[in-house]
Amino acid sequence: MKSGAGRTARILPAVLPPLISVLLAFIVGGLLLILLGYNPLEAYAMLFRGAFGSTNRICEILVKAAPLIILALGISIAFKSQIWNIGGDGQFTIGAIFSVWVALNVGLPPVLLAPLTFLAAFAGGAFWGGIAGLLKSRFNANEVITTLMLNYIAVYILGWLVLGPMMDPAGHGFPQTQLVGEALRMPILIAHTRLHGGIILALIMVVLIYFFWKTTLGFRIELVGKSVKVARYAGINVPRTMVLTMVISGGMAGIAGWCEVFGIHYRLLDHLAAGYGYLAIVVALLADLNPIGIIISAFFFSALMVGGATMERMAGIPFSLVDIIEGLVIIFVISRVIYTRWRGDRA
Amino acid sequence: MLDQLFTAGFVISFLAGAVRMSVPILLPALGEIFTERAGILNLGLEGIMLVGSVCGFWGTYATGSLLVGLLAAVAAGILFSLVMAFLCITVRANQIIAGTAVTILGGGLSILIFRAVFGIRMLPPSVEIFHPLHIPLLSKIPLLGPILFQQNLMVYLTWALMIVSGIVLFKTTFGLKVRAVGEHPRAADSRGINVILIRYICVMIGGGFAGLGGAFLSIGFMNTFLDQMTGGRGFIAVAVVIFSRWNPYRAMGAALIFGCANALQLRLQALGFPIPHQFLLAFPYVLTILALISVSKRAEVPAAFTIPYTRGES
Repeated sequence: MKSGAGRTARILPAVLPPLISVLLAFIVGGLLLILLGYNPLEAYAMLFRGAFGSTNRICEILVKAAPLIILALGISIAFKSQIWNIGGDGQFTIGAIFSVWVALNVGLPPVLLAPLTFLAAFAGGAFWGGIAGLLKSRFNANEVITTLMLNYIAVYILGWLVLGPMMDPAGHGFPQTQLVGEALRMPILIAHTRLHGGIILALIMVVLIYFFWKTTLGFRIELVGKSVKVARYAGINVPRTMVLTMVISGGMAGIAGWCEVFGIHYRLLDHLAAGYGYLAIVVALLADLNPIGIIISAFFFSALMVGGATMERMAGIPFSLVDIIEGLVIIFVISRVIYTRWRGDRA
Repeated sequence: MLDQLFTAGFVISFLAGAVRMSVPILLPALGEIFTERAGILNLGLEGIMLVGSVCGFWGTYATGSLLVGLLAAVAAGILFSLVMAFLCITVRANQIIAGTAVTILGGGLSILIFRAVFGIRMLPPSVEIFHPLHIPLLSKIPLLGPILFQQNLMVYLTWALMIVSGIVLFKTTFGLKVRAVGEHPRAADSRGINVILIRYICVMIGGGFAGLGGAFLSIGFMNTFLDQMTGGRGFIAVAVVIFSRWNPYRAMGAALIFGCANALQLRLQALGFPIPHQFLLAFPYVLTILALISVSKRAEVPAAFTIPYTRGES
């Protein structure tokens, strides 16, 4: 009993601020809706029913949450090190490209080929993230700009591949590649839904990252984030750690790309990432970069997306309300400090 | 195919297109130069541009006056940039995170406003946009005339604003204060410069310019608002600012490079040219990364860039 109370006292301060941020975002979003002539109660009711109204919908939430969790874990690694990787979209895309290329071009039995596609996805994402890491450590090139530019470059590379060298010859000119072999696809967990093994993969990744922070490398990455100076005094090779951080962060995004391709599309399509990388930043921040928190946060935002699509269809309220709530959530999360500061001033 | 490329007609239409396409990048970049010179990185430009774009269109549609549209866009840009200013200056939040939030919020807000005002229609609502304005005499100069002086009013306005920005930044006390605040806020503060105020003003200047840049797309280039019609130009503007080493005149050159790539890919695609158009589109982004490498070595970054200012802490 006593330890239970102690646990509540520990968990509450961690859980309350994000909850309040979400609540405030919904309130401000609701006020905006009123201002623009919509009924917020109807909107939110539709949002909720759209997200949780049927098993199928809940499965869709998990389908969306899987790559989002993996991406957000990758983002959290970079952000903890104070490296602002906003290149999730690009790393996701390049990872997907590498893995599909391997799946379509390497002649191996599926038992060997499947893990190889997974490794290729990690390598692709790691390569794309590593470029930004290398440019930062070597030339002090701001990683915000480089990762951003690499996002656009990745999108164009994908666009070129699916309309050019990798285009499905039998695809009637659609911007897509051939399907990957059936044996390589992720198994469906519940029949007649799209729910695939990706969510299990995501949970495994959460456990891995949870323990990653307890390894020496995890500790080094965190220390570089806390203070480059201290890290240097501690004998850490800061530039190398930075590159490594971006390699791991990008590699995770690549795996998220693998999860999306081998779980849902089974092929490359144009504009595959579609802003997942940016959403993952929101997910990671709401969770305060905590791996367990990322699961909840990803589930929440996936539910918003699934519910938002229904809300637009059924009630005619634009899906962009979901984007507004996402933006507001971050704003309230980062504005929290001002409340503590005011309270500190008065004390 | 090559002879099609080297006709005077093609070159003129291509370069005139490049000049036009440089405007929605140059406008936000000019404002961002002020913002960054004062020490703040506004990654929310993309979102602010979108809000400006929809408000500019709405203002024009409602009143039938392009001028009202422009003013609405600037006002909306300034107002919305206050969110960014509050987060970066008062809250002292991480500017990259704040910028991401403002971009996501602005994207959603612009679409919501557009749907709320115009509903869903078979044909998108449209307005009469700025028409090309042939400047007497100048527009008759061979080659240069049609490229530079048969553009619309917003293009000329952009050039005027570039010159004004350069003068304000390098030749006035206000410009000096801005640069002082970005280089050494503590020293500026001890000289009686209100660091917080200057930073707020600079973010708002950036917001006004971004709003104008957004409006160029909806009422100076196309004649309607489209979801996410900025297509990353806000981010490109940030890159252009760094590329140009925080100088309004060089920013124009940088914006023109992006404009050229954009105009060229449209035309080469139309001609069925064998170089994949995606490569041409990707080229400016590659160039930005290369430029960043060369700039980084010279370290001309404002010294207090992205660092929040607190009085009293040492």
